[in-house]
Amino acid sequence: MKTPQLLLKFALIIIVLIMTSSIVGAVSYDIKEMTPEVKASLDARRARYEQLAVMKAQGKVGENNRGYLEALESGDGVRDVVDAENNDRKSIYKTIVGQNGLPADALATVEKVFAQVQRDKAASGDSLQDESGNWIKK
Amino acid sequence: MGRDKMFAIFFLVILAAVAQGCTVKAVGDPNRPITINAHITLDIKGLEKTASSIEDYVSGAPAQGTVKTQGGK
Repeated sequence: MKTPQLLLKFALIIIVLIMTSSIVGAVSYDIKEMTPEVKASLDARRARYEQLAVMKAQGKVGENNRGYLEALESGDGVRDVVDAENNDRKSIYKTIVGQNGLPADALATVEKVFAQVQRDKAASGDSLQDESGNWIKK
Repeated sequence: MGRDKMFAIFFLVILAAVAQGCTVKAVGDPNRPITINAHITLDIKGLEKTASSIEDYVSGAPAQGTVKTQGGK
């Protein structure tokens, strides 16, 4: 009798489809709500971007392996710019964790993923800290 | 194949469908909230996509669709 075998195949296909949709549907981590705080952080980072690009090219700042900017030289307000940038980044990272219902300890993972993306997008000659903690020039 | 086996398969399909969209409701004293510690595995590729989109937005590169620049949900 062929009908039970067809039913079995149909049931297996349905199970696989359901499982696949569960997995695929769980992989999006977005800024779900553009709160005034996160919008201010994003806008401030955009406004600061060119200034930081120049400072990176001059070797004054670099990207560390924890997703934050690090001052490599002192003077001329470098520290202030680094602190402002890092505060904005932290606000964005925390928003991703909070709005996606991730546990608090996921912040470290979010930071590391952003660090990797910063390394990938860095311009040639920028100072970067690799995963083992060594500072290198891209 | 026996009828029992077919019912078992049918039951599994229904169970998977229910698990896919299930809602958990906690019933109890609202003054004594229940804390559930769950181990959540992060999808690194999903995070990378989000991070890349945000950094593209910050740098002024073409938007990838993750960052909404207008207010609201």
